[in-house]
Amino acid sequence: MKLIASMFCLLLLAGWRSPEPGGIVLRFENRAGNEVLIPGNTYVLRNGDTVTPYRFKYYISRIKAVSGDGRSVSLSDEHYLIDAADSASQVIALKDPGFPVAMISFVIGVDSIRNVSGVQTGALDPLHGMFWTWNSGYVMAKLEGSSPASHIAGRQFTYHVGGYRDENNTTRTVQLHLPDGMNQQNITVIADINAWFSGKNKIRISSTPVCHSPGELAMQLADNYSTMFSIARP
Amino acid sequence: MKMRATIWIMILLVLACAGWVNVDNYFRPTPVAFNIPKGWPQPVYDFKSNPLTREGIALGRELFYDGRLSKDGNFSCGSCHQQFGAFNSYDHNLSHGFNNSLTTRNAPGLFNLAWQKEFMWDGGINHLDLQPLAPMTAANEMAETIENIIRKLKADKNYRQKFRSAFGDETINTQRITRALSQFVLTLVSSNSKYDRVMRGEDTFILPEKLGYEIFKKKCTSCHTEPFFTDFSYRNTGLTSDPYLKDDGRMKITGKSADSLKFRVPSLRNVGRTFPYGHDGRFFSLLQVFEHYRKTMTVMPNTDSLLRNRLPLSNFEIGQLTAFLYTLTDSVFLKDPRFGPPGSENNDKPPVDFHP
Repeated sequence: MKLIASMFCLLLLAGWRSPEPGGIVLRFENRAGNEVLIPGNTYVLRNGDTVTPYRFKYYISRIKAVSGDGRSVSLSDEHYLIDAADSASQVIALKDPGFPVAMISFVIGVDSIRNVSGVQTGALDPLHGMFWTWNSGYVMAKLEGSSPASHIAGRQFTYHVGGYRDENNTTRTVQLHLPDGMNQQNITVIADINAWFSGKNKIRISSTPVCHSPGELAMQLADNYSTMFSIARP
Repeated sequence: MKMRATIWIMILLVLACAGWVNVDNYFRPTPVAFNIPKGWPQPVYDFKSNPLTREGIALGRELFYDGRLSKDGNFSCGSCHQQFGAFNSYDHNLSHGFNNSLTTRNAPGLFNLAWQKEFMWDGGINHLDLQPLAPMTAANEMAETIENIIRKLKADKNYRQKFRSAFGDETINTQRITRALSQFVLTLVSSNSKYDRVMRGEDTFILPEKLGYEIFKKKCTSCHTEPFFTDFSYRNTGLTSDPYLKDDGRMKITGKSADSLKFRVPSLRNVGRTFPYGHDGRFFSLLQVFEHYRKTMTVMPNTDSLLRNRLPLSNFEIGQLTAFLYTLTDSVFLKDPRFGPPGSENNDKPPVDFHP
């Protein structure tokens, strides 16, 4: 009997995956300015517009760690869908880079090859509402809500940013330096929706409430939100 | 005690191994070869990522004819893609969708899809597996969500079993549904028309067909290229925009004004059955199409260079061309019992014309 019991224990142990020692946990914290973004709550943007976001989602891929002397290692081959409405989606467990990390880099968006290879699974399953069925390709990032500034039905604004082809490619690489002396294993990345409106391109809900296709506006929004990330200081 | 435990462990191990071996054999679906008609190029579909199997094709066929893929259960893929119309919406300029709605384009025939890279009249869809997601979720077509479709299929024991036979386990997800559908529609190869028989040396054209083929080779093949009778390009053929549909065609996908009112060159295979013609089904007969090309088309700045002076055709030429085009009707394909609704092969009754 003892033997059987110990075999079961062994099986259980084999099946149990503990977090890799030394692995990095990357947390995404969505914010509107200094406030944590909760879908359905109302916030005042830096440009003065009042918004009630109800959907905020974006793809993160090609996560890499870079050392002080420029060595770079891939931490994951996966695509992750960060969803402001799903706290579990906001935590990504990654492997141990094997050196002290000076910078984290990732791509916001979906690899072009995954846009042309038929129906994908997991985070890339088209049922997550991040795929254009009529003009094949992923919505790389999505921000939807309502605002008194909007002049369309339901006072809505809906920004679906996508496009993977050359001149309309909306994937953006983000590089974030870690402040000296911070915890290397628990890194919190802040994503502030203010950047969607007040980045390099000034986007006002009153004049531009909708983006639903690849093109110039999608490129401008992608440039903007590529600057929405920062590392939370301890 | 120790002895008994050891025996038990031995038995368990043997059972586990036996199960392992059996499961592996039992769930392996039967591969089906994809036959390339003689003289045709290699297909563009990547069969390695989705190998054809008997079980996969059967599952795809069942899904194709299942109304539960739509919101109210009325609209299967097969309701707008009817076999006797070479899988077009027979005799409908636009198809009928959920809640008395109309589609905005003519449902084209479905055949020889393994050789096609892009789908829809504007080429917006870049992979065959992705194609079904558009009609499934469009409010004026099947109007259903992918989540609901998966939920309905998961609740059906028959489907759980069929997904297991086709893919190895009972998982039902978007990828498996669309891959099964692809497997079925990939088998829809139309290559047995009289034209094909003549090309294979098994038949001969009668005089008008022969004359028509000669005219066709002079005036039509640069776009309607053999053997598919399309070069899969997008062209502006002088079709003015319908004021209610406001369909810009290819421009909607590329965002380039040069692509305004460009639509994919349709295949002419089975053209005798795929009326009405044009992306919005505005032409109800071949004669109307010929009249368009020789007289009524509007030459626009980006109208195809081959049609700058329209397409001069005499009445005689139209007659001979029509005779030739009818040789492209593949009656074997139109009646192939493998392509009808599941179970219909054992049925002597004529096909049900189920357009809701």
